[in-house]
Amino acid sequence: MKDTTKFGISKKRVEDVECLYLKGYLDAHTAPILENTIQDSLNNGNFKIIVNFGELDYISSAGLGVFMVFIEDIRKNGGDIKLANMNEKVFSVFDLLGFPMLFDIHKEENHLISSFGSVKNI
Amino acid sequence: MIEIIENNKLKAKSDTSELEKIREFVSLKASEFGFSSAESQKIALAVDEACSNLIKHSYKYDNSKSFCLEVETLDNNFTVKILDKGIPFNPMSIAAPDMEEYFRTFKRGGLGIHIMKLVMDNISYLPSNEKNPYNLLKLTKELH
Repeated sequence: MKDTTKFGISKKRVEDVECLYLKGYLDAHTAPILENTIQDSLNNGNFKIIVNFGELDYISSAGLGVFMVFIEDIRKNGGDIKLANMNEKVFSVFDLLGFPMLFDIHKEENHLISSFGSVKNI
Repeated sequence: MIEIIENNKLKAKSDTSELEKIREFVSLKASEFGFSSAESQKIALAVDEACSNLIKHSYKYDNSKSFCLEVETLDNNFTVKILDKGIPFNPMSIAAPDMEEYFRTFKRGGLGIHIMKLVMDNISYLPSNEKNPYNLLKLTKELH
């Protein structure tokens, strides 16, 4: 079993959108937990996903990589992964690699729930 | 378990559960050297990426193996040396991805090395040889 004390995910369903709330550290140790959670959502036919980073303190490329694993498949199925509520430190890692090119990243989660249907294209 | 051998040295086993303490160690040393909190965290991120790659690719997640980190400072240069006995791998041999193409074609992987190069000012790699059993990766950041 992995030590999950420093990372956690809680879920909430709003209409047909799956909201995932991350907390703690998302690195090579904990990224498989997020990957399994998103895979579960896809297995259940949920392709509209919002990830809320409000309580996430750290992310490395292993965490960013999880979103790249699923984004193509999710968009092919008419869904999207939208990202919300990052602190400045976490956003700076997404920004460093240019992730805002591909992903909708917003300060507020509420705005995103109504925004499915508009997908960011390069 | 993580073991701080001397003030500027740390030994870690090849297990991703060690990454958190590695980041804390590097971030603390970078702050003590004079980097801002944001810069120290970026340096810790770059070292996390290097160690994650090492655990995954050079040691294939074998947690019976271990590696060492050493912090060295010279003038304005803050260097983290990572010494391991795994399969040699030079991160500098990987070209930086074109991120626009990366996203357009939904690529995967390779982002850790890109982060290391974006954050650090200088990266060098020396594979093990007959005289030296350790591979040596040096990540250097200059304090301005």
